[in-house]
Amino acid sequence: MAHDDRKRRFELLALPHLDAAFNLARWLAGNSADAEDVVQDAYLRAYRYFDSFHGGEFRVWLLSIVRNCFLDWVKDNRSGRLLFQPEPAGEADDMLWSERPRDPESLLLDSIDSQTLEQLMLRLPIEYREVLLLREVEDLSYKEIAVIVNTPLGTTMSRLARARLALRKLWLDAHPSEPAHGL
Amino acid sequence: MACDRSATLPALLADGAFRQPRRFLAERHVGRCPDCAMALDERHAAKTMLRTKLPFHRAPPGLAARIGAALPRETPPVVARRRGLSQTFAGGLASGTIGALAGVAATLLAVLPLGAPDAAVQGAIDSHIRSLMADHLTDVATSDQHTVKPWLSARLDVSPPVRDMADLGFPLVGGRLDYVAGHKGAAVVYRHAKHVINVFAWAAPGSDTGFAERAHQGFNVVSWRRGGIAYCAVSDLEPDQLAAFARLASGPAS
Ligand SMILES: [Zn+2]
Repeated sequence: MAHDDRKRRFELLALPHLDAAFNLARWLAGNSADAEDVVQDAYLRAYRYFDSFHGGEFRVWLLSIVRNCFLDWVKDNRSGRLLFQPEPAGEADDMLWSERPRDPESLLLDSIDSQTLEQLMLRLPIEYREVLLLREVEDLSYKEIAVIVNTPLGTTMSRLARARLALRKLWLDAHPSEPAHGL
Repeated sequence: MACDRSATLPALLADGAFRQPRRFLAERHVGRCPDCAMALDERHAAKTMLRTKLPFHRAPPGLAARIGAALPRETPPVVARRRGLSQTFAGGLASGTIGALAGVAATLLAVLPLGAPDAAVQGAIDSHIRSLMADHLTDVATSDQHTVKPWLSARLDVSPPVRDMADLGFPLVGGRLDYVAGHKGAAVVYRHAKHVINVFAWAAPGSDTGFAERAHQGFNVVSWRRGGIAYCAVSDLEPDQLAAFARLASGPAS
């Protein structure tokens, strides 16, 4: 009985976030089959450790487990693959300060299609991709993102700023618009 | 030259990182600053683009059912947590995960005791964020306290203690001039592992106080007043570590 209760409670909390969990895993792993394995593993782990969830935002707790499962999956399946690269500091720092804000229309953002955008995202380092997803798609706060990617808040914030600039740069390089100098 | 706040303020605003009254002040600045207004437009346009055009991969049909069927086989770890955890669940939870999970609970708790922070605490947090996002931590970058202290006192009417505490795990990074809630003052910068600590100091006549600890917007703040100088130490360091640090930093320069 108690066991069924626990399962019910878990499903009520966890299943509404299945799409979010899968989307994150899919963007990290790069294909659906692996993403499914990662998500299933994550849900079983979350269930096992359900008692250690002490309130707060369940989605944040769950997504951090998804991410950890993904890291373990990489360890098991792709040993040697360099996944998380060190922060590319120098170049991005210069970029951060030489960038001028631009009229969004001149960036031709409207003309981008989903497929191109997906390609650009996949060219970003994975640690950029995940903070962009968590912020722009999942709409999580800096603090919540920092918890999920297990990184100090300040580092998370500057990583997000760099991720945005890197995506912007990829886009502008592919589609130079009117005043494209300075990039 | 573009407004030097345009690289950070519009993003913070669009990301909902400001609370009142900072939000109001930020919006007022954007209302008056064409650079920041344009950067905010760009931020909104980019967010809309990502939200509408980035493929969202929904869970395949059947996954929920498969998970549901697998759950009853999973039993909670009724055994007390011991060192053998990762062995107990062979191929299961890596020890790093446990740390991360405990971290989730701890960090969520740490930001709970909220209340409206006063202007100085909020101002110190804003300046801390600005220094991190702008990658402008120091005007004078050196771990030599005998360089930082005279550099600051030559430019300010306060002379806060500056001491390299590398031996205690808090190496001095440098110093800079900064503003906290309208007060011109010094920021003395330290590090602890990957965490940056800003100690803000400005002239504030009045009697000495004890150490007051706050948590706000995910940052921890310890403030105190000594010798006519108000101090605010801000970091994402754990509260008790920052409290210990503040007591060390407030000591007389050696
Ligand atoms: Zn501005």
